[in-house]
Amino acid sequence: MNHIALAVRTVAAWLVTLLIVFPLIWLVLTAFKTELQAIAVPPELFFSPTLENFHEVQVRSDYLLYAKNSVVTSVLSTIIGLAIAAPAAYSMAFFRTKKTKDLLMWMLSTKMMPAVGALVPVYVMAQTAGLLDSLTGLTVVFTLSNLPIMVWMLYSGFKDIPPDILEAARMDGANVWSEFVHVIRPLATGTLASTGLLCLVLSWNEAFWSLNLSSANAGTLATLIASYSSPEGLFWAKLSCASLMAIAPIVVLGWFSQKQLVQGLTFGAVK
Amino acid sequence: MAFLELKGVEKFYGPVHAIKGIDLAIEKGEFIVFVGPSGCGKSTLLRMIAGLETIDGGSLWLDGREITKLNSSKRDLAMVFQSYALYPHMSVADNMSFALRLANVDKKIIQDKVGRAAEILNLSKYLDRTPKELSGGQRQRVAIGRAIVRAPKCFLFDEPLSNLDAALRGQTRVEITKLHRELGATTVYVTHDQVEAMTMADRVVVLRDGAIEQVGTPLELYDHPANTFVAQFIGQPQMNVVDTKKLPASFGIGGPADGFIGVRPEHVTVKRSGEGALPAKVEVVESLGLDTIIYANVGDVQLIARQNTRTALKAGDAVALEIAPTAIHQFDRQGRALAA
Repeated sequence: MNHIALAVRTVAAWLVTLLIVFPLIWLVLTAFKTELQAIAVPPELFFSPTLENFHEVQVRSDYLLYAKNSVVTSVLSTIIGLAIAAPAAYSMAFFRTKKTKDLLMWMLSTKMMPAVGALVPVYVMAQTAGLLDSLTGLTVVFTLSNLPIMVWMLYSGFKDIPPDILEAARMDGANVWSEFVHVIRPLATGTLASTGLLCLVLSWNEAFWSLNLSSANAGTLATLIASYSSPEGLFWAKLSCASLMAIAPIVVLGWFSQKQLVQGLTFGAVK
Repeated sequence: MAFLELKGVEKFYGPVHAIKGIDLAIEKGEFIVFVGPSGCGKSTLLRMIAGLETIDGGSLWLDGREITKLNSSKRDLAMVFQSYALYPHMSVADNMSFALRLANVDKKIIQDKVGRAAEILNLSKYLDRTPKELSGGQRQRVAIGRAIVRAPKCFLFDEPLSNLDAALRGQTRVEITKLHRELGATTVYVTHDQVEAMTMADRVVVLRDGAIEQVGTPLELYDHPANTFVAQFIGQPQMNVVDTKKLPASFGIGGPADGFIGVRPEHVTVKRSGEGALPAKVEVVESLGLDTIIYANVGDVQLIARQNTRTALKAGDAVALEIAPTAIHQFDRQGRALAA
């Protein structure tokens, strides 16, 4: 009986996995097809792969520029985000007041509002500040939109550190900075790393704000992908190729850091 | 001026007046124990001295300097926490040397000091281990080591023995007392255990509801309690305190017309029925080996007697109790001691 249950569960798990991964596999396959093969009906599963699309994407839209923009905005927004979120989470975790929970809920609730609701004011502000289509503008927006989730994650990690230990450090002569560097940072390495990684992934994949606030200069890989769905028609093979090139770096990073990510996201749930 | 002085120190938590104007002068090298039931404010008061809680009223002075508003890190005090609060990611040596490293003390000096402290505390073998590889007693010693390495002006202990088992507690108690004698450091020690208070302290501060009930040497408190609270808190089993209005006429022992009398269990003698002044009935007998504790009822009033001989008495037996009149403490209606 147990064997059957296990087998059913295994098959079900594989089916679900396949369902999730299928578009990705399709995308990878299409990236190596010609445009004609890409729209062939029935779809061709066996074909001789071509690298033509990769060349085309680089020539037509300067992949490296978009990639650089993605790296700069996501890395900077992660660093700045951590620099702001860590002190905020520290004060909420270790100097709690009656309003701390409400404040956290309020911060998180801003993520529940659809981004489009804030589009006009954010656009006008960016325009007034001269930050449209600039890396600075995108970095600021990415940082701010990730802050609630970063504060929340760091807060959950920090509050698992016994406050006694920080008090002991204070008695030992530590000021806030040395307390953070010598005690909190080593004890919360996992939390800090997973929060940073998540923020990096979220910024990298961010499409809404990059599409609306940037174009030729500061466009990220998300805008590169979007540019392949144009009024001239859909070029499936090139679109897939651009998408593959856009997601590849972050997928690789995610693959190598999945342990950290899972640990961070389930922090506090498992002791 | 005293070495460590509290002048009218107060603490409020919202509308709750947690610490009600404490005045206390502690001399250099003294071992002071704060004792009281849970919720009496003893730990809060210690944390206020440590700088971990703000002081809302009054002032705090250490070695002639006011430290009321000074950060913990600048007070030059060391604290041993109930939970030990060791840094889990550091080795024993790093735990002990953390304060010195923060103060940029020379590496050679740090090594010497840690080595010496480890030797005193029998930790030399464990310097490279992390706290989770140590037993409870060893962790406790590391926490003490962390404090003594710094040679601070004053040591603060917050119920340091309450996480240890009974045997280890007794042993560590003796070690801390010995250590205090060797180092001669001013120490403030918080406990709810009156045995710790009696055995370790130079002077005991009994607290209740955020106020001092009495300050004195252990024997002063035992022999001359200022009120019924101290009388019953200090001593095991606790002092018999009886409302004089409830005394049966046969009691025949002088006391205030309206108040309480108190008598220590060892001053109540159990005799055969008819031989003593107070006929009583045995309720419970506790044989502890060295001592025997006998609970007996005189009318409605229960009295506890303690004797260092064994007994064949059992519950329900008729006995007579005798109380030496000189051993009686007298208290007024508010529970305050009356001059004998």
